[in-house]
Amino acid sequence: MIAEGALHAGCQFFAGYPITPASGVYKAMIEQLPQRNGVAISAPDEISALAYCVGASGRGIKAMTASSGPGWSLMIETVQYALMTELPVVIALVQRLGPSTGGATQNGQADILFTEFCTSGGYTIPMFAPSTPQECYEVTTIAFKWAELLRTPVIILSDKEVGMMSEDVDFIKLVSAPVSYRKEFSTKNGTEHHTYDFQNLEDVPLFSPVGGDYKVTMTGSAHDKKGTLQKNSRETIDVLLHLQAKIDAHAEEMSIIRIDNEEQANTLVVSFGITARTAREAIRRARLAGKKVRNANVISLFPVPGTALQAAAAGVKRIVVAEENLTGQYRSVIRSLFPDQEIVGVNAVGTLITPKNIMDALL
Amino acid sequence: MEETLQHHTYTKDNAVFPFCKGCGHHHYVNHLDEALFALNIDPKNVCIVSDIGCIGILDSLFATPHTFHTTHGRSTAFATGIELADGILRNSKLKTIVVIGDGGATIGLLHLVNAALMNVDVTVILANNFLYGMTGGQHSQFSPLEFVTPTTPAGNIVPPIDICSIMKSCGATYIKQAVATDKNLGSIIADAVNHPGFAMVEVLELCTEWAVPFNKFDGKTMNEKLRHSNDGGVPQRKDFATLYKEKVLGNLKKTIDDTVTPAYTSALNGSRRIVLAGTAGEKVQLASFLYMKSAIASGLHATQKNDNPVTQGSGFSLSELCVSNDEILFTGIDQPDAVIIASADGLKEVLANGTLSRCVAETIIIADQTLPEFECAGKISRLPLRALCTGSRAALSALAALNVVKGWISQDALWEMIDGKFKDKSGSFHRDIEALMPFIKT
Repeated sequence: MIAEGALHAGCQFFAGYPITPASGVYKAMIEQLPQRNGVAISAPDEISALAYCVGASGRGIKAMTASSGPGWSLMIETVQYALMTELPVVIALVQRLGPSTGGATQNGQADILFTEFCTSGGYTIPMFAPSTPQECYEVTTIAFKWAELLRTPVIILSDKEVGMMSEDVDFIKLVSAPVSYRKEFSTKNGTEHHTYDFQNLEDVPLFSPVGGDYKVTMTGSAHDKKGTLQKNSRETIDVLLHLQAKIDAHAEEMSIIRIDNEEQANTLVVSFGITARTAREAIRRARLAGKKVRNANVISLFPVPGTALQAAAAGVKRIVVAEENLTGQYRSVIRSLFPDQEIVGVNAVGTLITPKNIMDALL
Repeated sequence: MEETLQHHTYTKDNAVFPFCKGCGHHHYVNHLDEALFALNIDPKNVCIVSDIGCIGILDSLFATPHTFHTTHGRSTAFATGIELADGILRNSKLKTIVVIGDGGATIGLLHLVNAALMNVDVTVILANNFLYGMTGGQHSQFSPLEFVTPTTPAGNIVPPIDICSIMKSCGATYIKQAVATDKNLGSIIADAVNHPGFAMVEVLELCTEWAVPFNKFDGKTMNEKLRHSNDGGVPQRKDFATLYKEKVLGNLKKTIDDTVTPAYTSALNGSRRIVLAGTAGEKVQLASFLYMKSAIASGLHATQKNDNPVTQGSGFSLSELCVSNDEILFTGIDQPDAVIIASADGLKEVLANGTLSRCVAETIIIADQTLPEFECAGKISRLPLRALCTGSRAALSALAALNVVKGWISQDALWEMIDGKFKDKSGSFHRDIEALMPFIKT
């Protein structure tokens, strides 16, 4: 469904390298993309796969790759390049059990911090987590939208349980984001083309492809608005501030949390990915048992949807964050949002969190 | 006196070279400019993809072509992406030129190998000065034997990469070696850029800062000792973009059609969770898949999850099914309604992964009768699955027989799926199921 979403969003370039549990996306794109006037190719490693995509993006093409923890480790150098050069690309990361090669067919939700904070410099990479095949489709279209509009890499953080499960999908009910394209530069604007031009820090530079009518100067090194290598001129620092500002300025728009409300709730359950489904089942059972509980399924993990999360937690005494990792990674990220509320974790490694695990943590 | 550029068509006017006095990179830049000048290419149709190191900052000297200053060693991979997009999805207008040093060629060797194998229309001009000049003259994997550098004070004892031979073995169609001072370097580069398909030009240079002071190599000895005759590409073949457009683009007609129409009905209320366990290659996961599709055809929701050892074709094969008239939320099986164990591999796995320990008194267990005794809370039917159905029909026959007894999903839907899949061989399943059905304890 990630592949279907990508095709709907206008993805025309995919480069892949085999890895369980992400190979399904690779295979689907190899089968589907050439029929839809796109290129899907096999790379000799994950470094090449993402670099091919970023190169294609530089030529003005919407591009995506897919991988899992071990392959993602190799892509980190290149995702930083995409971030610095402001080239849109979507990476579907289907998590498995780590660390290292870990377990290829075992689930994990433990690459959240590793993925989000992979940049030297610490810039926010938008990240969306689906919990169902329908959401895989929807989230992929959302990922392309923001990648294109903000000229940034975007991560789809799926997991083995979501990615390798077969399930009925009602295609008529699929939801998608509007198909968006990066805004292109034109001399009609009456300005000279600079590769990284912006007025306000949060503005997104107008794009021109390599091979287009305007000279493009791409660089992964610190640069001014023209793309000229600089050390620490005021303009170069502004470019660095701009990389974060353009994301921050759209944080509220990117925020997606699905709330199952209960006005009198004592407990709020926060979860994402496969665990969000388990949480919904736990809440169904808990309510049958008379408990007052509210549910928040976080789709947009980053930028952290702080306002929406705080609103969701209004009035509850306890916040339960359920996630399949050892130390409560997302809990550690959102803890500071709730200085006056108890926040507890339900965690597991190498095994699914069950509805009972979550129910046991409710007030 | 500062050395400046000879041509001004592609490079910046009066640009000051950032290179050390006497460095071969001066010749390199001038000859690249000269080559583009000779080819008379519109600079908007040129993309220079530069790497890291002294030669990597060359992009800043070019005023008019597009430039892509990339990460260490990866320049060829980015260039490959640009070329694939340009050659297949755009109008093949770009001349994509990679500017890389021997350090970049080492760390990114696989990118060069794959670009040559694919025969992408990219030109690589490798400035080989045998060491890492920018970072203090450390030796590289291109350093010749006995080469003295700060990291090989006793002389290099490891033979160097012969990039021309590697490129040849990868089917590169244009390979040339030159020394930076060669007068005809400009025309060699022009030939390479003009060449349709992958082209490699290895330019030999001596680093004036780190190589010259410690080694006896000079221009003469470099010509004698380092220049070799391993250049010359393999016969011309079609480049990747051309082949892709001919053979792949629009030519794959295979479509994934997993569309199921819910033409049947089921009276199931609530969910049923089933575990199938058997041996790889014995159609355990296929049985599960057909049941899942039949459940969907019955108007139900269904999920299927498979597991197997990493090698896929040996050991156990496991599948977990959930069918429900309501949306399926939790996708695990905390309490199975049925477990089918078709082989010893399957039994070993359901014992190991805790499936049997999660069974309750109502759980229906169907196990091959030859399996050893095992402890389980459910109602166990030990049937001659393998003797009657053979291994490859055991799981599906047992599952279908169970469904006849319990009626969880439409049996008509299941028959349609089985008959559609196995066609004239589906009669065996009908016989198996008739035989098994009376003996299932529920």
